[in-house]
Amino acid sequence: MSLALPESLVAAPVGIEADRTARALRWLRWRQFRNATGVLVADSRLRISMIVFCSGVFWAGLFLLFLGSFQFIASYVDLANTIVEYLFSMFFLSLLAMLLFSTGIIVYTALFHSREAAYLLTTPAATDRIFAHKFAEAVGFSSWGFFLLGSPLLVAYGLTIKPVPGGESGAPWAYYPLFLVYLLVFVMIPASLGAIVAIVVANVFPKRERTVLALATLAAAGGLFLIGYRLWTTPGEALTSDWLGGLLNRLAFCQNPLWPSRWMSAGLLASAKGDWRGAGYHLMILSSHAGLAYLTAAVLARDLYRRGYSRVQGSRSNRKRLEFRLMDAAFHRLFFFLPFPIRLLILKDLRTFLRDPTQWSQFLIFFGLLAFYFLNIPRLGYGAQSPYWRNLVSFLNLSVTALILSTFTSRFIFPLLSLEGRNFWTLGLLPLRRDQILWGKFAFSAGISLISTEFLVVLSDLMLQMNPWMIVLHVGMIAVLCLGLSGISVGLGARLPNLRESDPSKIAAGFGGTFNLLVSLVFIFTIVTALAVPCHLYFVGQDNPESARIILSRGGLRFWLTTAVVASLIVGAAATIIPLRIGIKAFNRMEF
Amino acid sequence: MIELRGVGKSFGTKRAVDHLDLTVRPGELFAFLGPNGAGKTTTIKMICGLLAPSEGTVTIGGHPASSEGARRQLGYVPDQPYLYDKLTGREFLRFVVEMYGVDRATGSARIEEMIDTFEMGDFIDELCENYSQGMKQRVVFASALVHEPRVLVVDEPLVGLDPRSARIVKNMFVSQARAGAAVLMSIHLLAIAEELADRIGIVDHGRMLAVGTLDELRERAQHGGSLEDLFLKLTGDDVLRAISPVARARLETPR
Repeated sequence: MSLALPESLVAAPVGIEADRTARALRWLRWRQFRNATGVLVADSRLRISMIVFCSGVFWAGLFLLFLGSFQFIASYVDLANTIVEYLFSMFFLSLLAMLLFSTGIIVYTALFHSREAAYLLTTPAATDRIFAHKFAEAVGFSSWGFFLLGSPLLVAYGLTIKPVPGGESGAPWAYYPLFLVYLLVFVMIPASLGAIVAIVVANVFPKRERTVLALATLAAAGGLFLIGYRLWTTPGEALTSDWLGGLLNRLAFCQNPLWPSRWMSAGLLASAKGDWRGAGYHLMILSSHAGLAYLTAAVLARDLYRRGYSRVQGSRSNRKRLEFRLMDAAFHRLFFFLPFPIRLLILKDLRTFLRDPTQWSQFLIFFGLLAFYFLNIPRLGYGAQSPYWRNLVSFLNLSVTALILSTFTSRFIFPLLSLEGRNFWTLGLLPLRRDQILWGKFAFSAGISLISTEFLVVLSDLMLQMNPWMIVLHVGMIAVLCLGLSGISVGLGARLPNLRESDPSKIAAGFGGTFNLLVSLVFIFTIVTALAVPCHLYFVGQDNPESARIILSRGGLRFWLTTAVVASLIVGAAATIIPLRIGIKAFNRMEF
Repeated sequence: MIELRGVGKSFGTKRAVDHLDLTVRPGELFAFLGPNGAGKTTTIKMICGLLAPSEGTVTIGGHPASSEGARRQLGYVPDQPYLYDKLTGREFLRFVVEMYGVDRATGSARIEEMIDTFEMGDFIDELCENYSQGMKQRVVFASALVHEPRVLVVDEPLVGLDPRSARIVKNMFVSQARAGAAVLMSIHLLAIAEELADRIGIVDHGRMLAVGTLDELRERAQHGGSLEDLFLKLTGDDVLRAISPVARARLETPR
């Protein structure tokens, strides 16, 4: 018997091997999905039920919202079709841009920074096969939200449309499966374009990936702001025919026949009316462009993926980092009352935060846009409006600030503990109590949140010329929200950690992160409603002394506002302390 | 089997590998030694086709390193191996066998052989996410060997293995080499290199300082001591000077 290496194991016809590689990768995906589902069903039934329930509630909420909107639009008999056409075009154009961004980023990470990609590149799999495998994964990961958002819209539209004027409501049954095909095909276009951009960036700017991302985000934010500003300043009284005409005029760019979103909306509208010829025509245009975009991405991957991978891996930065000595010294002096180990932990998190532009750039862009809008309040003329309007706008501004803060705490603060868990041996060996680590995270989160949001809320109120008592009330409210949101994110981050994942965006998108966001939203809703309702009721009657007596007098406002403030403080304290206590308890018991 | 000719690799201004020539022949077990940051892992990544050399050529069995022909002959165990958390060890081995185009019957037989060789029967049907470091390491070795590679490249092979598993792995390296494979292992444990390697290459600052059998290296360096002393002499590491004055004084103080 020969003991030498057999030839048959290592040589086979190339065509057959390509098929086998594709089959092996398909099998891998299926097996991973099956095993992961099996583990979830066996070990985490509650988690699955929660995910299904929350998705169901979200879907139903969106469906009702869209249903109501379509019924409202139907009242504009003459313009209903045009409005829906514009609405669809705008909706799908926005999704096109979002999917381009999200899939581009996910494909880039999956192709050039994942350990699986490094492994697969050493196997005989062809680079375009590896690309196809990672692309499918990225598309699935980035577009499930698109289906969750798009399906209630299209179902609601299908139920309200009247294919024949004056006839029965409801699209033909074939519209419903067909819109799923449309969604699937549509997703391929931004996803493929995102992949093309990712491959080009890796090859051309391997050392500047974050700068490219920051510039692209800035450009997108600028575009968004410009569109928003143009719509906001549409001349005429709101909801009048002139105003609506002006608004549609300013949205005409989304009707450009070269946008895939335009083909999508035209095809969907045609299929809802039973115009199968028009629906098929637009579906063919969409599919052929989706196919072309994917083919271009696959060919680029075949020729440039391996080169790009080498360039990205070979672009280790040897740039010396700033030491932040001044910041450290100032921080120690300013927060001398905090225990020294907690100060050190806060500084560590602060340094990590400042050195990761993906964190602070998003924070800066969102809050920067808000600040820009607040600064422009005088130009929008809100300051000259009645107290009722100014009060309403001030509460809306505060709510938007809190909502953006909640996405920040869910995206960046919630995963902190999960990420720390991987390096816990370092912290675990320090002469520190574990609860001090959590308090450090809480202080870090609350500090950053308070500094940024208090500034924004005061700016908004000053621009709206609010009276000093209302400014004090809003400052107090946002402080309660900052502390509560930080407590929720740090506490739940410790209670529901994901120690296996190293990507913070995936930790935030998981069950724990989603649950954290939901709890945060409920908390914001509770605090804002408790304080906004008495103020709103009081200001509603300000223009008319008769109704003021009936709705809420000054004395009534004082009583209800005091009650609401006390209730908010209690809810705020509970939202801060209870999750932190739960988190500390779980963190003390945790084994690493 | 493995050929590097005038290979260089730069990361910006940093020269990681500098004009490296290296040949590992079929049936040879080659130990690649060098201090941290010497360029070993970069060289290995170029051999596996993960990094493109800035200059020079890397071939595996006559094929360019990044080609499918080269990868088909290659078995690679990286310093930080990758396993799919949601696959069992057996499923992972089956995936590897499929990827390398091994026919089903032979593949199944090879998988069973690897399970026996690396004593993985107790855990091979559990998900990889539940494995200890040593279990993972054994599955990774099995995956690198299951398709009978003609070239085996291993970066730091014995990290996380208990003495019994380490012995199995060492035996497998020798066995692969005896069967005709070219085996290149990057290793910090000089005793293992001394025990197993047919030839040793010492690299520092991206340059090959010396290549040959242990005896040839000793002769060239005019040094009769252990491989550790030889290594330190070649890489110019004056350990006593490298440590702090206090530690040096403590070391030199008799007990």
